[in-house]
Amino acid sequence: MKQLLDWVEHRTGIGSLMRAALYENIPGGARWRYVWGSTLVVAFFTQVVTGLVLWMSYSPSTQTAWESVYYIQYEMPCGWLLRGVHHYSAHAMVVLLALHLAQVVIDGAYRAPREFNFWIGLVLMLIVLGMSLTGYLLPWDQKGYWATTVATNLMNQAPGGGALRKLVIGGADYGHHTLTRFFAMHAGVLPALLVCFLVLHVALFRRHGLTARNPARRPDAKFWPDQVLRDAVACLAVLAVVLGLTLWMGSDLGAPADPASNYAAARPEWYFLFLFQFLKYFPGKSETIGAIVVPGLVMLVLFLMPLWGRWRVGHALNVSFLIVLLCAIGWLTFRATSDDYYAQWYGEDESTPAGVEATPSTHSDRLAKSREFLAAKHEAQLASDRAVELAGSPRKIPPTGALAMLRDDTKTQGRALFRQHCAVCHAFKDATGKDSSRDVHSNDVSASNLYGFASRQWIAGLLDPARVDSDHYFGLTAFKDGDMVDWVKENIGEVADEDRAAITADVQKVAAAVSAEAVLPSQADLEQHDAEKIAAGRKLITEDFSCIDCHKFHDDGELGMAPDLTGYGSRDWLVEFISSPEHERFYPDTNDRMPKFADPDRPDQHRLTAGQIEMIADWLRGDWYRPPDGKADTGSTEE
Amino acid sequence: MTDTQQPTADAQEAAKSRVGRRGFFGFFTFLVGAVVGLVPLTVAGIALFDPLRRKAAQKTYTRIVALDAVPDDGLPHRFDVVRERVDAWNRYPAEPVGAVYLVRKPGQKKPTAFTATCPHAGCFIGYTPGDDKFQCPCHTSAYHFDGTRIGGKVSVAPRGMDTLDVDVRPASTADAGGPQEVWVRFERFETGRHEKIALS
Repeated sequence: MKQLLDWVEHRTGIGSLMRAALYENIPGGARWRYVWGSTLVVAFFTQVVTGLVLWMSYSPSTQTAWESVYYIQYEMPCGWLLRGVHHYSAHAMVVLLALHLAQVVIDGAYRAPREFNFWIGLVLMLIVLGMSLTGYLLPWDQKGYWATTVATNLMNQAPGGGALRKLVIGGADYGHHTLTRFFAMHAGVLPALLVCFLVLHVALFRRHGLTARNPARRPDAKFWPDQVLRDAVACLAVLAVVLGLTLWMGSDLGAPADPASNYAAARPEWYFLFLFQFLKYFPGKSETIGAIVVPGLVMLVLFLMPLWGRWRVGHALNVSFLIVLLCAIGWLTFRATSDDYYAQWYGEDESTPAGVEATPSTHSDRLAKSREFLAAKHEAQLASDRAVELAGSPRKIPPTGALAMLRDDTKTQGRALFRQHCAVCHAFKDATGKDSSRDVHSNDVSASNLYGFASRQWIAGLLDPARVDSDHYFGLTAFKDGDMVDWVKENIGEVADEDRAAITADVQKVAAAVSAEAVLPSQADLEQHDAEKIAAGRKLITEDFSCIDCHKFHDDGELGMAPDLTGYGSRDWLVEFISSPEHERFYPDTNDRMPKFADPDRPDQHRLTAGQIEMIADWLRGDWYRPPDGKADTGSTEE
Repeated sequence: MTDTQQPTADAQEAAKSRVGRRGFFGFFTFLVGAVVGLVPLTVAGIALFDPLRRKAAQKTYTRIVALDAVPDDGLPHRFDVVRERVDAWNRYPAEPVGAVYLVRKPGQKKPTAFTATCPHAGCFIGYTPGDDKFQCPCHTSAYHFDGTRIGGKVSVAPRGMDTLDVDVRPASTADAGGPQEVWVRFERFETGRHEKIALS
């Protein structure tokens, strides 16, 4: 064995190189404060290993980036772990960089002759931040897309920034080449630069030796094993944190990037939040100062630190500057976070909470903005969950990509269409609060609440004398004082006490019969079970309740006075109603503001395409793909 | 003397020759190195700077919606801009590529069109029915319904919302005096600037 080692040593000199590296003298002995550089190297090594394997499964184009990351995250064995370690190691590197920088500045390790090494360290820091920025976009999800949009648009403010932006994103618009360029930067250019500068950094560190703050405190020691052990323990701690975060939080994947969507939860990663917040304080013309000048000056001061740091006063200034800088970054990050989570942290109380520095007006303003952000975040999570659910369906992701798949999804797009075209008047809100995930927010409701439309509960509520003229049904419409409200109040509300139980039972039967016309997916089992009840309800409709005096119901009654109850709430019925509410099947003479969304006679004049109307109808009916195990929400309107 | 000088002169001559030879070799090596280095660098540079010659999407008018679908209530109504687009090697069939807000004041025939892209940093400006303003979700930019900045010069936005050219045209299948539709010249503008400059 010794002969073999001697043979290798004679030809490579690797043994003496290792000895020189391991038995380097550490003035004042090994210390925990020296571990940051090693942890950074190990974190970078982790990034290289995990990054290379991620690369083997990643495909950078707008139709394959999200899709390949989905596959890594949800279908590849241990892909979630691989991605999580890569994701949180990147976060760890930012924290370790800050700690390393602080240790170097506080210990004065930038002083002559180590100026160049300090500058190289700062360049390494910028490279790592560049890798974080470019890596954020690569999944091509909503948060990465919109955060990168903001970051690259800010380039416009620098001289020649417009051209630089084009170079970075690969043209005037975001697309395939934005991804290929960001990926080339993230996995090729920046890591190569990082390795080059890291080699220089370590070489210069070896040349000048370690800067001990107080070398006389203990006898000198060798790097191996005293310091190496400490470094190894620190690396283990970093790995434990990274694994812990991966297991606890996982690395999320937003919905596929959609430039045409109203994504209102756009935020950069937490370590760039301070810059995001900082921009809020630079109105109008002064924004260049916040986006370019101040960050540029901060970097300039950091680079110049070694020049005046040789004097005691200069060093004290450098340390003070760094502390102020880190505190400012911390405060801005906290402020950005507290703005976003204000409603969650301080409750929904409209009055200014104690201990919060806010006037009533700023309190309500912050509360409103925070609510909007939290709602947007919730929406983003729903879209993300749904995209993953669809991608995992037996149909998998079509070749046109996950965005096309999501745009064809009733559950999300039906809701978006409802919000855009129907929520101007209609509410969609579960009054019980049990199924708030489907709620559509609107500040200006002036028509009925369509949550659970045509379900048994919804019809029963309509036949409830206490609720028929409430805001939930006709209370906000021209029908508030109409025939239906009068009929319900008189015929169901004004019955003798001894008949109360019977009429209540009959109402349930009628509700079941009318609701059965809708053939709602959520009631399929119920309706199979309640065939007799439905038959009894149908009889009541034509006989005791005489609904057919105004409504048409199959072969009974006539059209023209009130909506047709035949197929009420079914897909065809809803499509026809949304297309043309003034059709004789619905409200030929008494339509209350409901616009005609499509006209068969004037197809070029439609407000919504046939497909969009069908999507809204399906969404109202809760008719969309569900995974076979039924884990996801059922869309059920039954409680 | 002559014997000793003669070798020295020869040595000098030889040294001169060596220098000349070395200089030629050095120059030629530099030349070869420059050619070897410049060819890939030039080719790489052309490819690297290729995005600078690429133009923004064509600024043609796109049909947005029937005029009847834009109530003259002075409130914003959001519509997707649906059209074909080309991204490098793909031509996509008509799909949403952005959104506009159309605002039509009472009695006004032609609506005003605002792009939904915030002129501050390019986020998607939001509007919730019932609100009294447009609100950008990213920073603090907010706008009146006429597109002007709330807060004026103290707003973080460098300018008001960007308007787009609007054309109200008769529907292709309509007779004279028949239904009309709103067409918008959809384009993007540089963000973060006080002037409204179309992306080229």
